[in-house]
Amino acid sequence: MTYVEVEWSGKTVRVPALKHQGKLWFHWQGETHVVEVLASRRAGGGSGKSNPGVIAAPMPGKVTQLRVAAGDEVKKGQALVIMEAMKMEYTLEADRDGKITELNAKLGAQVALGDVLVRVGEA
Amino acid sequence: MSTRRRSNRRFTKLGIANRGEVAVRIIRAAQELGMETVLLHSSVDEKTAAFRLADHTVCIGEAPSANSYLNIEANIHGAMSAGCEAIHPGFGFLSENADFAQKVEEAGMIFVGPTPENIRLFGDKISAKAHVEKSGGPVIPGYRGEDQSIERLIKECEQIGFPVICKAAAGGGGRGLKVIRNKADATELILSAQREAQSSFGSGVVFLEKYLENAKHIEVQIFGDTSGRVTSLLERECSVQRRHQKIIEEALSPSLDEELRAKISFTARDLAERAAYVGAGTVEFLLQDGQFYFMEVNTRLQVEHPVTELVLGVDLVKAQLMTAMGQPLAWPKQFQPRGHAIECRLYAEDSYKGGMPSTGKLLAAEWPQGPGRRFEVGFDPGDDITANYDPMIAKVIVWDETRIRAIQKMKRVLSETIIFGVRTNIPLLQEILGHEEFLSGTMTTRFFETHFNKGLAGQEYSKSELAMIQTLNAQAGNAAATGESAAAPSPWSHAWSRT
Repeated sequence: MTYVEVEWSGKTVRVPALKHQGKLWFHWQGETHVVEVLASRRAGGGSGKSNPGVIAAPMPGKVTQLRVAAGDEVKKGQALVIMEAMKMEYTLEADRDGKITELNAKLGAQVALGDVLVRVGEA
Repeated sequence: MSTRRRSNRRFTKLGIANRGEVAVRIIRAAQELGMETVLLHSSVDEKTAAFRLADHTVCIGEAPSANSYLNIEANIHGAMSAGCEAIHPGFGFLSENADFAQKVEEAGMIFVGPTPENIRLFGDKISAKAHVEKSGGPVIPGYRGEDQSIERLIKECEQIGFPVICKAAAGGGGRGLKVIRNKADATELILSAQREAQSSFGSGVVFLEKYLENAKHIEVQIFGDTSGRVTSLLERECSVQRRHQKIIEEALSPSLDEELRAKISFTARDLAERAAYVGAGTVEFLLQDGQFYFMEVNTRLQVEHPVTELVLGVDLVKAQLMTAMGQPLAWPKQFQPRGHAIECRLYAEDSYKGGMPSTGKLLAAEWPQGPGRRFEVGFDPGDDITANYDPMIAKVIVWDETRIRAIQKMKRVLSETIIFGVRTNIPLLQEILGHEEFLSGTMTTRFFETHFNKGLAGQEYSKSELAMIQTLNAQAGNAAATGESAAAPSPWSHAWSRT
C-alpha cells in the first residue's frame, strides 16, 4: 500500500492513495473512494492531441460556469468553462490566444466526453 | 449402504475443481493435512491466489465455464493426468452434479462430497420434497394436483390459506407467477396465471403454494460421517438476500429460541440420516410466524460455512477430506455454540451505481488483521477481476462474544478494508449493518428489496476534502510504472480548481 501524508484538522494523516489509468483511488474516513483525474489539462476529448482552438469536454459532466461569451478575446491559459464531473471541478482553459468563435457550452447542461464546448479562433 | 465404499481410502493427492477463494480454502486445508494439491483451472485463471498456492496446476479449458469449470470430462481428464486420487468440487460449478460425482468414482478417484445418490435425491425438487414429506418433515402447504378446474383451485387456495402463490408447473422465473391475497381476486388471477403459463411454457398447468411474505432464511449445517451418523452443526441465518443471492450470513440465528432450534436441528438431521447422507450439506428452511418449512438441501460445502466454523470451533473442509478418506471425526455428539459470527460477501460492484459490476485490475488490497477477524480471499494485487465468473471476490468473517459486538466489529473491519482497482459493495454492506431492522435481528428475505433497492446516493465532498484530494492527486504514486514518480510534482496537479 502506498500513502500520501496530508494535513487534516491540525493533524498529519496518512491516506492510502494510488493512481491508475486516469483514476485516483484513496481510502478516506473508513471508505474507499475513486475519482477520475486527467492525464493532461489540455482538453481535447481525452486524446491529448486535440486540434488547436477546439475545446472539448474531457469527461462526461455538467457545465457549472461560463467565463466567456462568443466574440470575446482570450489569452492562452484563460479559464473558459468550468465543468463538474465525479463531484470534482474541472477548468477548461484556452490553449491559444484568440477570439471565441463558437460557444456551445450552456450553463447547467450535461455534456458527453468529447463534446466540443468552445472554439477559439486564431488571433 | 453408500458408506461402505468409503472405508479407509487414504489419499495424498487432491484435485480442486474450482477457483477463487474457495479453491484457496481447500488447498490450505489439504496442504495442512499433508496432501499435495492440483488446481484444475481455466486458461484465464493463472493470475489468481489459488494458482500460486497450489502444488500443481492443470489448465482444463478456456474461460467460459462451460468449457472448463463445468466440463466434466475436462476436469476428470485433468485430474487423472496429474495423478489425483480425489477431487474436491468446492461450491457452485460441478459441486452438485451427480453425474460428475459418479464419473469421478468410476474413474477410480474419490469424490469429496455426498454420494451420487444423495445428490440426485436432493437435487431434484420433487423427489427432495417427497422425501421430506415421507420423513414427516414440514413442507410448504400447496396443491400440485391434476384437477386444474377453477373451482378446485379456489377451494385449494382456501384450504392452504391466503396469501397463496400461483405458479406455472412447467416454468421458472417470474412468468406465470401470481400472488393471490383473497378469494375475490382468485378467479381472475388464476386464469391469468394459466394463460401466461400456456403462452410462456406451452402448458397451462399451475401449482398453488402458501406464500410466505415475511419469512426468514434459516439453514442447518449437517454432516454425515463414515459411521452413517448425521450430526447437526446448528443453524445459520441468511435473510439478507438480493434477488435470492445471499449477502450477509450469521451463526447462530437471532430468531430461534432453544425449543425451535432443537426442532429445526432435529428435522434437518433426521431427513439427512434417512437418506444415508454422507459429508457436508445444508438443509434450507423458511421460517415465518414460528413455523418452519423445508425449502431444499444443498449437497455441498456452503459459501457461508465459516460462520458455523467460528461458533463451533470446527473445520468443515478438513472434516470433508477426513470423511472422504473413511476416517472418523473427533466431534462431540452435540455442539455447544460460543459467541456469534457474521460473514459479509464482498462483491466487485459499484454500490453507488445500483450494484453495477466493476471489473479491472486489483491494484492494492489491505485486509486488516485482528482478533476474531477472518478473510477468505481469492485474488492478490495485480490480478484481474473479470466478468467471466461470479463477482464475489472475497468474504469477510468476524467472531465476537455477542451479536451486537460482532456487528460492531464487522463495521470496523469493513471500514479498515482497502481495495483499489475495483469498486466493492462495502458501502452497501455498511448501510445494511447499520440498519435498525438488521440490528434488531427481525429482518426477513424481503429486507433488502424493501430498504435498499434504490441503491446508495453518491459520495459528496466538502471544500476542504476537495483540497485534500488535490494534494493526493499531486502526490500519489502511479500504479502503472509509466515514468511518473510519486515524489515528482505532477504536471497537472493544478488542473483542479481551488474553490
